[in-house]
Amino acid sequence: MTRQPQTPSIDFTALTLKDALDLAILIEEEARDRYEELSAQLVLHRTPGAAAFFSKMVRIEELHRKQLLEERTKAFGDQPSAVRREMIFDIEAPDYDEARAEMTTRQALETALRSEEKAHRFFVEVLSHVQNPEVKKLFEELRDEEVEHQQLVKAELAKLPPGDPLQGVDVGDGPAPQ
Amino acid sequence: MLDDLILGMAGAGGDGVVSAGESLLAAASSEGYHALMTKSFGSQIRGGESSCRVRLSTKKVLNPGGALDVVVALNWDDFFKFGAELPLSIDTIFIYEEKAGPPPETLKARGVVPKELIPVSISELTKKSSGTEKSKTSVVLGLLSGWFGIPAEAISRGIKKKFGSKGEGLLEANEKALAAGIEYAKAHPLASPHELARPKAAPGSKMLCDGNDMCAAGALFAGVKFFGGYPITPSTEVMQTLSKEIWKYGGTVLQCEDEIAGIGATVGASFAGRKSMTATSGPGMDLKTEILGLATIAELPLVVLNVQRGGPSTGLPTKPEQADLFQAAFSGHGDVLRPVLAPTDVEDSFKTTVTAFNIAEQYQTPVIILSDQEIAQRKEALDLIDTTKLEVIDRRVPTAAELADKPYARFALTESGISPISHPGMEKGTYLAAGIEHNEKGDPTSSGGLHAKMNEKRFKKLEPLKQRSDLFELRGNADAKLGFIAWGSTAGVAREAVELAKADGHDVKLLIPYLLHPIAEQVYADFFRSLTHGLVVELSHQGQLYRMLRMFIDVPKGVRSFARSGANPFQPRELVKRLIELKGQPS
Amino acid sequence: MTAPAVFEAKHYKSELKPIWCPGCGDFGVLQGLYRALSAVGRPPHEVAFISGIGCSSRIPGYTTAYGFNTVHGRSLPIAQGVKLANPDLLVVVAGGDGDGFSIGGGHVAHAVRRNIDLTYLVMDNQVYGLTKGQLSPTSPKGLETVTSPLGSLEDPINPLLYMLAYGAGFVAQATPADMPGMTALIEEAIRYPGFSFVNIQSPCVTFGEEDQQLKAHKTKMKTLASLKHDSSNQLAALDLARAYGTELYTGVFYRNPNPPPTYEALVKLRQAEQSKKARPHHQLLEAYLQK
Repeated sequence: MTRQPQTPSIDFTALTLKDALDLAILIEEEARDRYEELSAQLVLHRTPGAAAFFSKMVRIEELHRKQLLEERTKAFGDQPSAVRREMIFDIEAPDYDEARAEMTTRQALETALRSEEKAHRFFVEVLSHVQNPEVKKLFEELRDEEVEHQQLVKAELAKLPPGDPLQGVDVGDGPAPQ
Repeated sequence: MLDDLILGMAGAGGDGVVSAGESLLAAASSEGYHALMTKSFGSQIRGGESSCRVRLSTKKVLNPGGALDVVVALNWDDFFKFGAELPLSIDTIFIYEEKAGPPPETLKARGVVPKELIPVSISELTKKSSGTEKSKTSVVLGLLSGWFGIPAEAISRGIKKKFGSKGEGLLEANEKALAAGIEYAKAHPLASPHELARPKAAPGSKMLCDGNDMCAAGALFAGVKFFGGYPITPSTEVMQTLSKEIWKYGGTVLQCEDEIAGIGATVGASFAGRKSMTATSGPGMDLKTEILGLATIAELPLVVLNVQRGGPSTGLPTKPEQADLFQAAFSGHGDVLRPVLAPTDVEDSFKTTVTAFNIAEQYQTPVIILSDQEIAQRKEALDLIDTTKLEVIDRRVPTAAELADKPYARFALTESGISPISHPGMEKGTYLAAGIEHNEKGDPTSSGGLHAKMNEKRFKKLEPLKQRSDLFELRGNADAKLGFIAWGSTAGVAREAVELAKADGHDVKLLIPYLLHPIAEQVYADFFRSLTHGLVVELSHQGQLYRMLRMFIDVPKGVRSFARSGANPFQPRELVKRLIELKGQPS
Repeated sequence: MTAPAVFEAKHYKSELKPIWCPGCGDFGVLQGLYRALSAVGRPPHEVAFISGIGCSSRIPGYTTAYGFNTVHGRSLPIAQGVKLANPDLLVVVAGGDGDGFSIGGGHVAHAVRRNIDLTYLVMDNQVYGLTKGQLSPTSPKGLETVTSPLGSLEDPINPLLYMLAYGAGFVAQATPADMPGMTALIEEAIRYPGFSFVNIQSPCVTFGEEDQQLKAHKTKMKTLASLKHDSSNQLAALDLARAYGTELYTGVFYRNPNPPPTYEALVKLRQAEQSKKARPHHQLLEAYLQK
């Protein structure tokens, strides 16, 4: 007796407001955890500028998560959640592929920008399936917030001093054999 | 009446002298004799020369013995191919196929003047009595029965055991041939009667087995649950026996694709918490070395049996040698201390295997058993081994309370160096086992400090082995000025040499280490204290134990190596001779 | 005993920080593995995770399962010993293309033919990463590396074709560029009752080629489902597998629709049947008495 994969997935047409809020919380949580991982990777690989920026993203995503959690608690108390982390994949979390040893702070910001754009695309896509008007409203808000976030990152990018004219030229020690 | 009789037979493989020897051994053992048989073959798979040596005795047999009392040669070419394996003396009686003619002149050149030469037209006698030549060796057995007093009924039973499955026709022919042989012997008595005394033990009280049988049985007794291996002469019989037996006791044998997979699967089974074992010979040991290192650093219990043969490389696959001691003790990179044990005979093979499992489990280490082709494949009739006093030790696993208490540290640095070991399936016991150096928890590290501590732990935990008196055998007077050190199959020859020396009026003692590594400095130092002269006897060109002793301790000048390459077995008498010669030299 | 109802992905994640280069494909594989294990739902202490040597072979340490990071190329035989010693365990084997198809290549056919219930995950990056970028058994012909500075002269091994030809009952290919797809494949492989193999194209960010990176995978990959491949058709699977190295197909190439009994199932039967003949502990040697 074998079973087919049981990887859980989400039916957006039947999503309730409670589940939608929980989903939004998990999306922030996933992003927070991913930034934390990437930051740790870059600390390990001596890329402090990008690591610091990813750490900042950890705090921002955590802030978003907390705000959503408050909203959820106000509306639904501690009613059990129907959605789990295993149901979502890299929605606002940057792909692992985004990190590079010795990446610049600018590249780290660009990673964040791409991730916000990705999240935006997600909400746009999902909204086409959502039926529940309350959920629709929530997801529209979140979608618009992603645009705001993009603008914030872009503003940060503009503030960065101009890049090193020799950026990308590798003068460091090569990789170490293990 | 004789208490002891040593027979040697040689012929072409097709003659079946080894089968005849086996029938004789089965007969003698069922009668209650102590008996021992070694066999030797040419390198052809079929059709080469073959020979066997059978020693029958009313007392415990310590080794295959010295020069033969009786020789049966079906042809001289094959007989002389075995050289030192069939040693002759002026007391040897020669029984030979008349057609082959008298022994060649070369015999005289070697200083052997046969005591009695007995040509028998064996082929003719066989054909006349049974109508076939297939029962030739039954005539030989009949002759031996008639001349040396081995009961005919017992031989008849032995033949039935050996050939029972080959059909009535052959059995009938064998019976007739046996009777003809007996009759011939009665009609032609020996000039010098050689009748063997009746055995002291009751019929049916003797076990008949070889060293490989006893290693397999010892493993089962110790509770082996997994055996992974690859066929290699002369160890394969261990896998063959376990392939039949292990299932009964809830275990599994996996015949692997190669030697590396053999020890790999074995180490995996040990990681999973089961007692596990692999067996091989020298070339297989070469291949297993890397994973032995893994078992050392991951502190996994493991028993590895090396049935030594002549080396290097393919060497002498069917002959004994004691030249893998360096390999057992030192093979592999890094600082490794790995216990090495050697049984000295068939009976020991059982106990030593149990001890090897006990040490492996208690100290969480691979243990090497160094058997060799001679004890592995020599069949012995011996008293039933009393197992009631034998202890079986299991690895110390953390208790549920210990695991609940605090995060589990698999490699905790304890006083003894032994840390409780969990295995998959145990809740809260998860850890990473690895070939990479680790901290106490098991996490990988490249810290020199931790590496030093872990090396110290892995060495320290084995220190108590050196104090264990059960891993050493001392014979003779402790104050003796003369002594032997011998190990493995050579130890049996040395035991008899001590008796011979005593009979000659010499005070000689003997040290037999079952534990060869780590070197127990104190045991050897104590043994050397009274010695003016001594010999370390071993079957290897270099004399590997002697060299190892010199590496670890001060060996007195008067203690020398008596070593020679494999397939040239020692004889008790020559050990005494060499020691007495040495005594004449300044120490 | 209190049985936790659900093990979440995070319960399989250990505190050790991976040494992999940022951007390595193995991070995604690890994440997918946590999720697949969570979907299967066995508690971490009933999982034994065996690996060899290589970047990807560090993976057991990053899980909370029992891990055994062994020697180069020998993870398969070691894992077989683990599973046969305790068939109740869930045994996962992982390693790279060099570990599995070069130094350990001789073991693969035998692991497959024995059909012991193991899941073998190969993180195939077509290069030796840990030793700094040498040619691997799956490197494309002509590849320039430090050990083939003028271009390699040999064809790569085709892991998919090998596994199918050896007779593996479950053969799939995945890429962390498609996390949900890869996770589902790992889960299905674990659930397959017998030897299962997933070749995961997990790019090396430091020594790999540009067209082997995840970004390239995203545009290049084609799911076998989209090709309407019937995964019970072994011949069709062999045909599709030939495209290894040129096409990036993901999904199940072959899944034996009627899985035969596993080796360990047959062992259990034999043990049950033979146990009747067991001798009492202290009478073992009486078998050798000569009557």
